[in-house]
Amino acid sequence: MTVTALDPTAVVAAPSTSARVWKWFGRYGALLVLAILVIGTSILEPTTFATWDNFINILNQSALSAIIAMGLTFALVTGEFDLSIGNVASLSGVVCLSAMVDQNIGVVAALVLAVVIGAIVGLLNGLVVTLMNVNALVATLGIGTVAVGVNYAVAGGTPVGLPDPAGFIQLTLGRFLGIPYPVFMMLGLAAVLWFILNRTVLGQSMQAVGGNAVAAQLSGIRVNRVRVFAFVICGVCAGITGILLASRTGSAAVSGGDSYLLAAFAAAFFGSAVLRDGEFHVIGTLVGVITVSVGFNAIALVGLETYWQYLFQGLLLILGVGVGSLARRRAAAA
Amino acid sequence: MSEATALGDLAVATSPTSTCLEMTGVSKQFGGHQALEDVSISLSPGRVLALCGANGAGKSTLVRILAGAESADAGSITVHGQEVAIHAPQDATRLGLSFIHQELNLVPKFTALQNMSMGADHRRSGVIDQRSLRRKALAVQDRIGYRVPLDAKVEDLAVSDRWMVSLGRSLMRDATIVAMDEPTASFTQEEAERLYAIVDELKADGVGIIYISHRLEEVLQVADDVTVLRNGRLVGSYAAAELDVPALTRHIVGHDVEEVVHRETENDPTQAPELLRVEGLTREPRVRAASLTLHQGEILGVAGLVGAGRTELARLLIGADSVQSGSMTLDGKPYTPKSPFDGIKAGIALVPEERRSQGLILRNSVSSNLNMASLRDPRRRLGLFSPRRAARIARDAVTRFGVKTSSVHVTVGELSGGNQQKVVVGKNVLAGPRLLILDEPTVGVDVGARSEIYDIIRDLAAEGTSILMISSDFEELAICDRVVVMREGAITASVPAARATKERLTSLCFGTTEQDLA
Repeated sequence: MTVTALDPTAVVAAPSTSARVWKWFGRYGALLVLAILVIGTSILEPTTFATWDNFINILNQSALSAIIAMGLTFALVTGEFDLSIGNVASLSGVVCLSAMVDQNIGVVAALVLAVVIGAIVGLLNGLVVTLMNVNALVATLGIGTVAVGVNYAVAGGTPVGLPDPAGFIQLTLGRFLGIPYPVFMMLGLAAVLWFILNRTVLGQSMQAVGGNAVAAQLSGIRVNRVRVFAFVICGVCAGITGILLASRTGSAAVSGGDSYLLAAFAAAFFGSAVLRDGEFHVIGTLVGVITVSVGFNAIALVGLETYWQYLFQGLLLILGVGVGSLARRRAAAA
Repeated sequence: MSEATALGDLAVATSPTSTCLEMTGVSKQFGGHQALEDVSISLSPGRVLALCGANGAGKSTLVRILAGAESADAGSITVHGQEVAIHAPQDATRLGLSFIHQELNLVPKFTALQNMSMGADHRRSGVIDQRSLRRKALAVQDRIGYRVPLDAKVEDLAVSDRWMVSLGRSLMRDATIVAMDEPTASFTQEEAERLYAIVDELKADGVGIIYISHRLEEVLQVADDVTVLRNGRLVGSYAAAELDVPALTRHIVGHDVEEVVHRETENDPTQAPELLRVEGLTREPRVRAASLTLHQGEILGVAGLVGAGRTELARLLIGADSVQSGSMTLDGKPYTPKSPFDGIKAGIALVPEERRSQGLILRNSVSSNLNMASLRDPRRRLGLFSPRRAARIARDAVTRFGVKTSSVHVTVGELSGGNQQKVVVGKNVLAGPRLLILDEPTVGVDVGARSEIYDIIRDLAAEGTSILMISSDFEELAICDRVVVMREGAITASVPAARATKERLTSLCFGTTEQDLA
């Protein structure tokens, strides 16, 4: 046989059966969990769970978490962390509503303002991490705390409400073709973010920096600039989540977005076990968020008590990441 | 010897020559490579034994075996008259062996005292006894007659003081045998003198010292005995007093330097226009006023001993580190890269020394790695990235560079070392450089892949790309048009291909001058 450059025999002999099973499990295990959840609940609650309305409802419930978690995915892809996203979401809601009350700006302008706030905080995070060489955990914790301070200074610690919230509430309540706006926003942003990460030089650079920052730098990638962009994207998504949250609840509470922080991390980490070998990616994060929503929905429909939600979310994270990691090791060893 | 009498049986085992360390008939093979073959050394208390040899002579392997980092295939080790087995670093420490490597293994954020105390057992009821540690550290410093502020953080200390902390740690563990690897590599003359004085103190205390240094004058000044290794074999052991630098160089190199015609060059690239001129380039401590010129299409080799500053020079050229003084000129224009981004934009690419940690993203695909250095190719308009196009580029590159892989989507970490290296070379060639720097491009690469890499280098040069090839394997520098020698941070010699024999280069690396060789 002539040896061609693309030699199919060049890479080690065909993997054993158990290696292939483990590999499959590592890749598709997380999706399997989602499938079991959907099928199981459909059998238990065919009339309430397996309906179009409930499907749309689940997506709608996922939208805000998904947007903030997909943004966080960018920080994680470049090998960084962002602990400020929950605070940014709170800040965005409060500042946007205050501006709507005091400056009388419209809904669209408020949405733009939310993006700008997120971008500014993300930029600050990125600059502190890259220029001052501060560990991302510390930098974003600090900037996030500053954001809380600004938030209190603006709102005085009390929830901000609109005198006539009808138009603003439509931002999350309104429907097009029977589907709520947040679902469109989630899917639209997912498409945009997926495109940035997978089809642009910037996205490839982010993945390279997260994969091996030294090699990326020596390959001429401007590592610091790429990191700053990742933080900005992360901040923008948090800002958007914040204003949507304010619209959904009808007012902006000073700590309204804080609870999204850990849920976003949980979803992104669970998502890293979806389809890929422990790498963060947009689709994985989206699947992670939706899996949690499906679980919560099922728990409610089956009639279990609320504490099951926490048990479910915690175990899901541990199993998703843990089983994925275990499966990879088994696949490598077998 | 009353103690020996009291010990009865043990005294019989004690070697009559009262050596503190003997390694006898040590052999070690790595893959198919015989790193050490039947090497023996012997060290007495209160004496300094220097280990000398060129790169790859086996000094490091020998020391690693002694330290428990490698295990010997054959041979025995005797410490203080007793045959011992050293399986792990802890065994070596327990036997009173201590090692001060070039990388000092200190914790930068800890104080000098904390670093010195590591591994020293000073617990009282399970709690570390700070006072007794401090007393002992002070005693150790008195013993060597030099004080480092014990409460200063190591990261705030000068390089030579960090070395003293490392030595202090050895003595805190009651080491009776200390191996020092290139201790003065980044010392000033004054600091080096201080070290020699400390070595004298330790000798007077009965400590046996293994001294590894490329500075031969220093070796002859400090050592009592000199053991020379070459290609993993023992050349001989000599009394330092009987040697001079030329004689020692001869032992290290093997035979007198002779002229060998290497290869015919049809066109002489040294007559081609100049591409790069480097003048007085400095970044302490490793690069000190290095100057060189490189012509278009020229393959320039950089010979030197490990630690001569060659990797650091390459990093300055691509912009990975900042220059302290000196200048670089590319095509007659000043070249001041702030980062490798600037370097690659200006047409300089680097195949780094550590392929796995600096060259590749191991978990990513062959395609992703090959495209990494050319992401900003102007042909990728609007900053868009097409995986299809990237895969096509990668497939062409795989064919061109002979990477053996079943697909460009295979994870690069699964390839063999040689094929990984071809990916790193290919990645940098795809960036379209006018100057390609290769730092030890064939380390850990099998023979077949090695010759393929040489072919790639020759082809690139024939197309007009200039090559700067750093190598410690002086035989492979035969593919160069010209070889410069780097020594202690500066370029000290320039040798045309025809005269660049391994022996000549090795001599030059040890500081012999061209005049001496003439």
